[in-house]
Amino acid sequence: RRLVQSRRSLMMVCLCFMGIMRYLAKLSSLGSISEEETCEKLRGLIQRQVQICKRNLEVMDAVRRGAQLAIDECQFQFRSRRWNCSTLETVPVFGKVVTQGTREAAFVYAISAASVAFAVTRACSSGELEKCGCDRNVHGFSPEGFQWSGCSDNIAYGVAFSQSFVDVRERSKGQSSNRALMNLHNNEAGRKAILSNMRVECKCHGVSGSCELKTCWKAMPPFRKVGNIIKEKFDGATEVEQRKVGTTKVLVPRNSQFKPHTDEDLVYLDPSPDFCDHDPRTPGMLGTAGRQCNKTSKAIDGCELMCCGRGFHTEEVEVVDRCSCKFHWCCYVKCKQCRKTVEMHTCR
Amino acid sequence: MAGAIIENMSTKKLVIVGVILVLFQVFSFMVGGLIAPSPTTAVPYLATKCVDSVHHNEKSTKWFTPWGPNQCHKIRDFEEATVKKIEANNIVFAVHIPGPKIEMSPWFQFMLVVLQFEIAFKMYNQIDDGAVVTIDVGLAYRDDTFSDWTELAHSVEQRKLSCNFTAVKTFENEGRYYDCNLLPFMELGSVAHKYYLINIRLPVSERKKTNVGIGEIKDIRLVSIHQNGGFTKVWFAMKTFLTPSIFIIMVWYWRRITMMTRPPVLLEKVIFALGISMTFINIPVEWFSIGFNWTWMLLFGDIRQGIFYAMLLSFWIIFCGEHLMDHTERNNFSVYWKQVGPIAFGSFCLFIFDMCERGVQLKNPFFSIWASDVGTELAMAFIVVAGICACLYFLFLCFMVFQVFRNISGKRSSLPAMTKARRLHYEGLIFRFKFLMLVTLACAAVGSMFPFIISFVNEGHWHWGEHTVQVNSAFFTGMYGMWNLYVFTLMFLYAPSHKRYGDEQSLHLHLQHFIRRPYPERLTISSYMDSPPLEQFRVKCLAQGHNGGI
Repeated sequence: RRLVQSRRSLMMVCLCFMGIMRYLAKLSSLGSISEEETCEKLRGLIQRQVQICKRNLEVMDAVRRGAQLAIDECQFQFRSRRWNCSTLETVPVFGKVVTQGTREAAFVYAISAASVAFAVTRACSSGELEKCGCDRNVHGFSPEGFQWSGCSDNIAYGVAFSQSFVDVRERSKGQSSNRALMNLHNNEAGRKAILSNMRVECKCHGVSGSCELKTCWKAMPPFRKVGNIIKEKFDGATEVEQRKVGTTKVLVPRNSQFKPHTDEDLVYLDPSPDFCDHDPRTPGMLGTAGRQCNKTSKAIDGCELMCCGRGFHTEEVEVVDRCSCKFHWCCYVKCKQCRKTVEMHTCR
Repeated sequence: MAGAIIENMSTKKLVIVGVILVLFQVFSFMVGGLIAPSPTTAVPYLATKCVDSVHHNEKSTKWFTPWGPNQCHKIRDFEEATVKKIEANNIVFAVHIPGPKIEMSPWFQFMLVVLQFEIAFKMYNQIDDGAVVTIDVGLAYRDDTFSDWTELAHSVEQRKLSCNFTAVKTFENEGRYYDCNLLPFMELGSVAHKYYLINIRLPVSERKKTNVGIGEIKDIRLVSIHQNGGFTKVWFAMKTFLTPSIFIIMVWYWRRITMMTRPPVLLEKVIFALGISMTFINIPVEWFSIGFNWTWMLLFGDIRQGIFYAMLLSFWIIFCGEHLMDHTERNNFSVYWKQVGPIAFGSFCLFIFDMCERGVQLKNPFFSIWASDVGTELAMAFIVVAGICACLYFLFLCFMVFQVFRNISGKRSSLPAMTKARRLHYEGLIFRFKFLMLVTLACAAVGSMFPFIISFVNEGHWHWGEHTVQVNSAFFTGMYGMWNLYVFTLMFLYAPSHKRYGDEQSLHLHLQHFIRRPYPERLTISSYMDSPPLEQFRVKCLAQGHNGGI
C-alpha cells in the first residue's frame, strides 16, 4: 500500500515540475516566447512564475532550452536504469500538492535547476540577454560601471535567475512543508554542481607575453559533466526527515549515524519504488517490459535486474550500421553502410 | 662619488626620510587597492552560429551580426544544420564585442582575445594527432548602432588544436567534451571604437586537407581581456603625479653634480641614466591614446619597461663594482662589458621577440608567433637565450656581491688600525653599500612576496571592513610606486653632499691620508650631524693617485 502511494507520488512530483519543463521544451516548435500572453498560456506555471515570465520574456527562450537540456541529460544519465526518464513523454499531469519525494525526484529537481542556470548563463555569453552580468555590478548597471570596472560574471546572473524562477514554486508553498524543503535543497545542490566545478582559466599578457600580467576567469563545465556530478550525488543521496530545531524546520539524516549531508548532496524523503511494473493509474509509470537489457552485465542494466526476474526474449536482429565514415566538423557525414547481426534482449 | 648625502646625514634625518618613503609606498599600495578596480576584465563570449545562405560575389564582404537589428539567420546547433542541409562552409561564427547595451572605450587601452573550441568526442570522428584548424577571420568596427561595419582586419590563420580527452574513448563517453587549450586569437593595441564584430569561418576543403579531422565542433568560445577603465584612470593619475616628482629630483641631482669642479664619476652617471629611464616610463604619453588611435602603444610600453629593467640591472652591477674596494681603477663603463653584455644581449633578444609578436600584430592583429612550428621554435630560442643571459647576469651579480662582502669583512678587521679619515672613508663605503643592499633586498622581497600573497587571495580581492581591497591592482600600483621611490631615493641619498660648501670654518683638517680612486682630487668634508658639534666635524682630504698609509 505504501509502495503504491509513494510510486504515484514520485510520478506526480516529476511530472509536476518536469511537466512544465517538457511543455516549455515542446514550445520550441511554436517559435519563440515573445509575447506576454504566451506566459499566461504556459500550463503549469504558478502565478508568481507567470509574473517572472512576463518581466523576463527574453530569458524564457533560454529557460526553454534549459528544460530540453535537463530532459536530454536525465535520459542520458538514466539510460540503463529501470526508470529511464521516459515517463515524461506522456501528457503532463499535475496532481495536488505532493507530500513525498524520492531519490529520482531529487535528481530531476537538481538537474532542472542546474540546467536553467546553465542555459541562462550561456545565453548571456552569446549576447541574447540585455540585462545579465552588468546589472549585478557593484557600480550599478550603467555604461560607466562597465567602463570603470567591467561586469560581473554571467554565472551569477544565471544562478540568480534559476533561484528566482525555479525556487519560487517551492517558496510559495511555504517553508514548512518538508517537500518544499527537500526540493529547495536539491535545487540548490544542482546549482552548486555548476558553481563548485567552474574551471579557472588564465591568460598571461605581460611584457612579451610574460606572466607579469595575468588575467583569470571562470568557465562553466560542460553540461555532461554537470549531469555526471549530479548523478554521482544521486547515487550517494541521503535519506532525510524533517525535524524542528528551535523554531525552524530542517532536514536531518534519518539514520543519525550517517554523516550529515552538505549543500552539494542530494536528499530524499521516501524510498524509491522498484519501477518494475506498468501502473495504469500512475501516468508515466511504464515498467520495464519491452526494455532492452544487457545479458552479460550484473549491474542494473543487466537482464536479471532490469527485467525484475521476469525473464527476457532474445532475438537476432540485423542492424544497418555506419562504417568507414568521412566527417566534416559540421553537418556532413559520408558513410558506407555495414550490416551486422546482433543479439537483442528485451524484458518480458 | 665621495661624500654622498647618505653618509653625511644624521640617523634621525635618515629615519625621517625612511618613514616618509614608507608612507608613500603604503599610499601607492592603497591607491591601487582601494580606489582602482581590478586591473583587467575578462568577458566571455559564445559565438553565434550564423548561416551564410546567400552566395554573394566574393568582393563584397558581408558582416554577420549575432543580435540587434539586422541580425543574421541563426541556427541553434549543428543537428539543425544537418537537417537543413547547411554545409560547414556556410556557417559563420559571429561575436559582437561588447554585449548589448554597453560599449567599448579608449580607456580600455588594449584588447586581447583568446579562442577555445568546444569539441564533442565521437568514436568515429575523433581529433587527429597534431590537428590544425584553419580559421578565416574578419574584424570590423563601428561607432554607432546603425551604420555599416567597417573592416579593420581580415586574415586566414592557422592554430594548432591541442585537445585531450580525459575519459576512456568508448561509445559510452560519446558526447563528452575534449579539454582544449586556450588558443591565442587576437591582440589590439588600442580600443578606439565602440563596437567590434568578429566573424569566424572554418572553411573545409578535402582536397587541400584544411579543417579535416578536427572532430565535431559544437561551439566556439571567445574571451576578451581588456584593462579596466577605472584602473587606467588611476594609473594615468599616478604617472602624471610621478613624472614631475622624478623629473625635479633628476634636475636637482644633475645640478649638484655639475656644481662640483670634478667631472661626474661613472656611478653618478649611471644613477642619472636610471633616473632618465624612469622618467621615460613615467611620462604619461598614454593620455594621447584616449584621443588618437595609436596601436603601437602596447609595444612602446614594452620597450620603455625593457629599457628601465636593463638600466636597473646594469646599475646594480656597476654599483657593486664601484664598491669593491680592491684598489683597482674602474670608473669606466668598458670595464663592465662582461657583466653588462649579457644584459644588453638578453634585452635585445626580448626586443626582437617582442617585435616579432607585437610588432607584427600592428599589421595583423590575429598574428601569433606561437601558431606555427618555426615561430614557436624561434620564440623559444629567443626566450632561452634571454634566460641564459639572465642566469649569467645573476651569477656575475652574486659573485660580485660576494666579493664585496669578502672585502668588507677584510676591511672590518683592519679598520681600528686605520687612521680616522681612512676609516671614515671605508665606513662610508660600507654603509653606502649595505644601505643599498638592504633597500634592494627589501624591494625584491616585496616584489616577490606579493604574487605569493595574491595566490592565497580568492579572485584577486579581499574584504576589509566595508572596503574591498583589489590585491592585484594594489600590487601593480605598489610595485610601480616602489621602483619610483627606489630611483628617487637613489638620486636623493647618493647625490654628492653639499656640506663642503659651508664648512671651511670648522677645520680640523686631517690631511694625513690619501687613497686611490674613485675619489677625485678634491677636498670633501663630511659632517656627522648627529654627533656633538664642532670638534667632531671631520674633514677628509682625499686625493686621487696616491697610495694610502703616509
